Amino acid sequence: MSQSQGRVLIVDDEVAIRRALRNTLQGMGFLVEEAPSGEAALRLLPEAPYDVVLLDINMPGMGGVRACQEIRRTWPQLGILMLTVRDSEQDKVAALDAGADDYITKPFNVRELAARIRAAVRRSSASRVDPDAEIRIGAIELDPARRLVRKGGELVHLTPKEFDLLHYLMAHAGLPIMHVRLLRAVWGPEYGGELEYLRTFVRQLRKKLETDPAEPAYLLTDSHVGYRFADAKPEPVEEKA
Amino acid sequence: MDEKTELVSGLAAGSNSPAKANAWNRWRQAVRACLGVLPGSLAGVAVVAVVTLCAFRLHLNLSTASSLDFLIVVVVSAIWGFWEATFTSLVAYGCLDYFFTLPLFSFAVSDPQDWVALGTFEIAVLIVSRLSTRVQGQARAEARQRAQVEKLYQLSRRILFLDRSQTIGPQIVSLVQDIFKTESVALFDATAVRLDATGPRAGDLEQLARRAYFQDTVLEGPGGHTWATVLRLGSSPEGAIALSGPELSRFAVEPIASLAAIALERARSFEKEGRAEAARQTEQLRTTVLDALAHAFKTPLTAIRTASSGLLEAGRLTTDDTELAALIDDQAEHMNRLATELLQMAKIDAAEVRLRRERVPVLTLIEDVVARHREQLRGRSVRVADGAAPLEVQGDREILTAALEQFIDNAARYSTPGSPISVAAEENLGEVIIAVHNEGPPIRPADRERIFERFYRAEESRHRASGTGLGLSIAKKAAEAHGGRTWVVSEERTGTTFFFALPGGLGRRYESVAG
Repeated sequence: MSQSQGRVLIVDDEVAIRRALRNTLQGMGFLVEEAPSGEAALRLLPEAPYDVVLLDINMPGMGGVRACQEIRRTWPQLGILMLTVRDSEQDKVAALDAGADDYITKPFNVRELAARIRAAVRRSSASRVDPDAEIRIGAIELDPARRLVRKGGELVHLTPKEFDLLHYLMAHAGLPIMHVRLLRAVWGPEYGGELEYLRTFVRQLRKKLETDPAEPAYLLTDSHVGYRFADAKPEPVEEKA
Repeated sequence: MDEKTELVSGLAAGSNSPAKANAWNRWRQAVRACLGVLPGSLAGVAVVAVVTLCAFRLHLNLSTASSLDFLIVVVVSAIWGFWEATFTSLVAYGCLDYFFTLPLFSFAVSDPQDWVALGTFEIAVLIVSRLSTRVQGQARAEARQRAQVEKLYQLSRRILFLDRSQTIGPQIVSLVQDIFKTESVALFDATAVRLDATGPRAGDLEQLARRAYFQDTVLEGPGGHTWATVLRLGSSPEGAIALSGPELSRFAVEPIASLAAIALERARSFEKEGRAEAARQTEQLRTTVLDALAHAFKTPLTAIRTASSGLLEAGRLTTDDTELAALIDDQAEHMNRLATELLQMAKIDAAEVRLRRERVPVLTLIEDVVARHREQLRGRSVRVADGAAPLEVQGDREILTAALEQFIDNAARYSTPGSPISVAAEENLGEVIIAVHNEGPPIRPADRERIFERFYRAEESRHRASGTGLGLSIAKKAAEAHGGRTWVVSEERTGTTFFFALPGGLGRRYESVAG
């Protein structure tokens, strides 16, 4: 808690939520500023180097989605985490389409929120890293230069498309990747609607990588939105008392 | 409308013997026809007499006189008709015979050439007058038809502009009355069970319209002035219309009936459309209100959960404080679930009006739901049977997800902790059945139906786990909205299985995709 984990801007029109978030996140070691609207956020952002913006999707004025688009245009590296209220896929997809890195549904557990914030912070610094650098998450190691994947030290044989899919997901570990984006990145720009392709490949990858493919620990499903590779530093989530 | 036409006799008077009345009517008609022919015939005869006299005085010969008479008969047939002309021609024949053939002043004819001349005159005059009458009759019929088509066209146009805010029956009745100048009109609308009539014989025609509808036939009154016919669009009768008036024929009545049927149907579909629009608006309003309400609930809940989980995370609390903070956190989450489920319930209620159907692969549905409950299912094995892979259903993805989630949540909540849960799907007799099985104490037989009711919670489960009592009723509602059903099988030995059946599976195997 002595060292700052990152600078966070909370954008929400509800005072109670801003206050609860500010105190909690400060207690966890983040530097926190707050803004009551998207317009106010756009005024505050140039004043200090922020790592992550927590952006409520449902606000009076310009609203979360437009604010997200504006912020993304000016600050492509900034981590943006959208707070959605309804558990509906349209909102999530709209948020990711507008350029958000991730979303979290209200009400949330702060521990989960903190993990998502850290993943977003990492993403904004990760893009400066060499794209051929080896990625290691849990027991999975991926060597982009030699196109090799190891699980617990043992070589796993993957087809070229399986490798590309895994590489893309691991390079964005901890963040949700929409179906469309994944299909276009791996198969090419003319793809987008072939969800069954994707599901088949993910199923095969799970068989090769997961200890229990029915209960994946690495290749996670984000209902109706896409897939997410487990966080680089998986937080041990214990059951509550 | 080609079935038998029934002759309705003695409509107006409550006649005791139809046969007698019929004979009487026929007599009356015959007498009236004879009287009708009289003026034309008399006029023709008068002219023939005058011309014959003049011709006799002027000593004209037979051929000249017969030419003059010929002309007169043709004129009579043109003005009055065939029967008048025939009568006139016979008188003319007599006059020619009497005054112009030898021997004079006698009906006897001595010269056979005169026979030929007289016979030719009579036959030619009959043929010509017959032809002329027929042509005139055709012209008159054409004119009548043209007038009728014009009237029908007028009716069809004005039917388009009927006032939709008013009852349609009286409007049709007065429209027909107005355009066709009928004496009386009655309309029976079978769907609305409504009779509308106008004119002096409204009461009789109401009866007649009802009879035509129930006998599903065309009824014709005496003299062809009263008609009743069933109204149909497609195959089923919609009502009946009865008309009476001097200028009605079957060929006018049938198109009027068709137009009236169309007008009724049109009014009905407008009404239906209006109702559907109202239902849609109500649904929209409800969704909007519920969304706003859910938002209003979730904002304070977010603040509470952020604070409570933040307190727990900070780790500065005593053991007692931690327990209290955990309680707040737990209950806030419970309240959140309650709000979510109420919202889902309302959405499914609304979905009975409108389902957003699409093709949903069953395996994807199951995988998505299991993924959503990852936290809750941690440490338990969840087996998805292979049988689900090729199945697809037609349904509202969001609502089906909500339903299956309730089964998974239920299995996780009420089963023996740590025991495995299995999900299977198969197609059977045109139904896709999804089954969620768990181990644990059985559900009492008395409760097996009732657990699907809103807010009902079985006695034992109330103490065992926190639930809202809404979950299974959501699953049931969701199945019913899709025309499906839910049920449970529960035994001590084998455990509990919840079933969710949807009609009309689309047994389709995914195209296999090779890496």
